[in-house]
Amino acid sequence: MAQLTLALAKGRTAKESLRLMAKANITFPDFHEKSRKLVFYSEDQSIKMIYVKAVDVTTYVEQGAADIGIVGRDNILEAEADLYELLDLNLGKCRFVIASLKDLQIMKGKKIKVASKYPNVTKKYFSRNGLTAETIKLNGSVELAPIIGMADCILDIVETGNTIKENGLTILDDVEHISTRLVVNKASFATKTDQIQQLIRQLKAVLGGTE
Amino acid sequence: MHLYHNTENDLVINVEQIHFRGQIMNKLKKRFITYGYDEIYTSTFEHYDLYANMNGTVNHHEMIKTIDNTGTVLVLRPDITIPITQQIAMNNKEIQEDLRYFYVLDVFRQTAEANEYRESTQAGVEYFGNPAPEADAEIIALAIHLLQDVHVNHFKIELGHAGFFKQLVNEMNIQKQDLNELKQYIQAKNITEIEQLLHRLDVEKDVKDIVTSLPFLYGNPLEVIEQARKLPLNTKMKNTLQNITDIYHVLQSYGVADHIVVDLGLINHMDYYSDMIFQGFIEKVGKPILMGGRYNKLANQFDATIPAIGFACDIDLLLAGIESSLLTKMKPVDIIISYQKKQEDSALDLANKLRNKKVKVLTYPNVTSKNHLPQGMFSIDITENKSIFINDNEETPFTTFEELIRLIQQARERN
Repeated sequence: MAQLTLALAKGRTAKESLRLMAKANITFPDFHEKSRKLVFYSEDQSIKMIYVKAVDVTTYVEQGAADIGIVGRDNILEAEADLYELLDLNLGKCRFVIASLKDLQIMKGKKIKVASKYPNVTKKYFSRNGLTAETIKLNGSVELAPIIGMADCILDIVETGNTIKENGLTILDDVEHISTRLVVNKASFATKTDQIQQLIRQLKAVLGGTE
Repeated sequence: MHLYHNTENDLVINVEQIHFRGQIMNKLKKRFITYGYDEIYTSTFEHYDLYANMNGTVNHHEMIKTIDNTGTVLVLRPDITIPITQQIAMNNKEIQEDLRYFYVLDVFRQTAEANEYRESTQAGVEYFGNPAPEADAEIIALAIHLLQDVHVNHFKIELGHAGFFKQLVNEMNIQKQDLNELKQYIQAKNITEIEQLLHRLDVEKDVKDIVTSLPFLYGNPLEVIEQARKLPLNTKMKNTLQNITDIYHVLQSYGVADHIVVDLGLINHMDYYSDMIFQGFIEKVGKPILMGGRYNKLANQFDATIPAIGFACDIDLLLAGIESSLLTKMKPVDIIISYQKKQEDSALDLANKLRNKKVKVLTYPNVTSKNHLPQGMFSIDITENKSIFINDNEETPFTTFEELIRLIQQARERN
C-alpha cells in the first residue's frame, strides 16, 4: 500500500490530534515537540507526517504535496481551498465572533473598519450581511485595534471570551463555529481511497468513544 | 516556439519541456483521430457579450478583456465548448447526424486573487447529436485511452450526474445564498456543516436524508448505486441512477471498469452540464486533469436542440504527472559542418542535400576553435583541398555525396 502524507498543524492542534491518533493506534515514535525535524513516520510506516504552520496546511493539501491534513476550521475558511473536509475531530472548539467597544452601531450604508487576522472570512461575513467593510489585516493582538481607534470592530477567534471581556470589548455576533478538521486532497481521495477511508474509520471509532 | 512568462514576467525558454509537451500533444491528437474525431479551431478573440449573457459558466472576473477600435469588448478565449456549440447551433436547429470534433487550444484566464494570468492548453472533444449512454461511455473510454497512451497507469475517473443534484434542489425551497453554501459543503463532503445547514433550513425529511448521504455515496459504482437506490428518491432521480448504470455497463464492455468510481456528490461549477459528469485524477497531481460531461441544454441558449457531450484535458497538469523518462529524449544535432568561406557554395549545397534526407544539420564558416560549437553526433570539415567526415576522432575523407551517406550509415550502425 502506498504511504499517506499527513500535514499536521503545529501547536495545540498537533498535541491534541496526536493524542487522538495514539488512541487509534497511530503513533509517531520519533516525534517530540522540541524536535527540529519536520518529517516523521508512523510506527508501521503507513503515514509520513509533515509538521507545518497551521496556515500552510491547506496549501500543502490543495497542492497535493500532502494527501491529508489536520487543521482548524479557521484556517480552512480563510484559505477557501478546494478540498474535502471529511471529518470533524471535535477538538479545539471555538468560534469566530464580531466584537467591538460597547457603543458601535452597525448601520447599512456606513463603511465599517474591521481588524482581523482573517481578511477573507471578514469580507465574506460582511458582504453576506449586506454591509460595506474595510478590512485591516493584523497578525496578532487584534483586540487592540478598536481600543486605540484604528478599527470599529474586530473579527477574531474566541474560546471562552475572556480576552475580549478583559479588554472591554463586547461580542456583537457569532460568525462561525470552529473545530479541528481532517481535510483531504481530492485527487488523493480518488487514487488512495481505501487507505484514506481506513484512516477515517480508525479515527471515527475513537471519536465515538470520547463522546 | 512556445515561450513562458513566469510571474516576474521574465521569459523562460525550456526547449526540453516544449519538446516533451509537443510529443504528448501529438499522441493525444492521434488518439482523437482513431475515434473518428476531426480537429477544429475557435478564434482567440471572442465577443464578451456571448459570455456576459450566460450565467453559471465562466466567471466574468476571470476573463481577460480587451477593447477593439470600435469600442467592442472582446475576451481572450475563456472557454471552448460554448463557442463551438454556438457555431453548431447557428447552422443546425436540430441535428440529423453525429458530429465529432476535437481541439488542442489555449484558454486564457485571470485568477481572481493576485495579478496572475494563466494560459493553459486544453485538449478535448465535443460530440454532438447522440444522447445515448453508448456515447457517454465512448467519451469516457476515449479519456481513459488517452491516459494509457501517455503511460499514466494509476488513475481514477469519478462519475457523477448533474441531474441528480438539480432534482434535489427542485425538491427544496432554498434561497440562492444557502444553496451556494450547500453546494460548497457537498463539494467538500463536509457532513458536519451539511447537517448544521439543513438543521437551519426548512427541508423535508426525505430530502434531508438524501442530502446527508451524498458525502458517502462514493466508490465502487454498483455498490454506490445499490446504496443510493435505498434512499427515498423521486422518479427523475431514479432515472439518473439508471443512466449511470447503463453507462457503466458499456464501460465494462470497453474493459475500463476498474478505473471508474461513482461520486453522487460531484457538482461541476459549469451550470451547462445536464446529465452525466466526470473528472479524472492521476497520482501526484492535486487537481482534476480532465473534466467533462453531457450538456444537452446548452444549445437551447442559441435556440437549437442538440444533445452534446464533451471533455477537456489540461495539458499542463497532465505533464506534471507524467514521468518524462518514458518519452524519447531530444536528439542532438546529427552533423555540424565547418567550412572555409571560399567553400560556402559546396558546403551549403551539401547541408541542403542532407536536410532533404531528414538529417539535422548546422553550418559554421571559418571556425577557428570548435569549443564554441554545439555538440553534434558527427562533424564534417570542408576546406579548399578536401572534405572530411569526423566520427569521434576518426577522420575519413570523402568526395561524393553517396560516399558520405554510406559513411553516416556505417557510423550510426557502430554507435
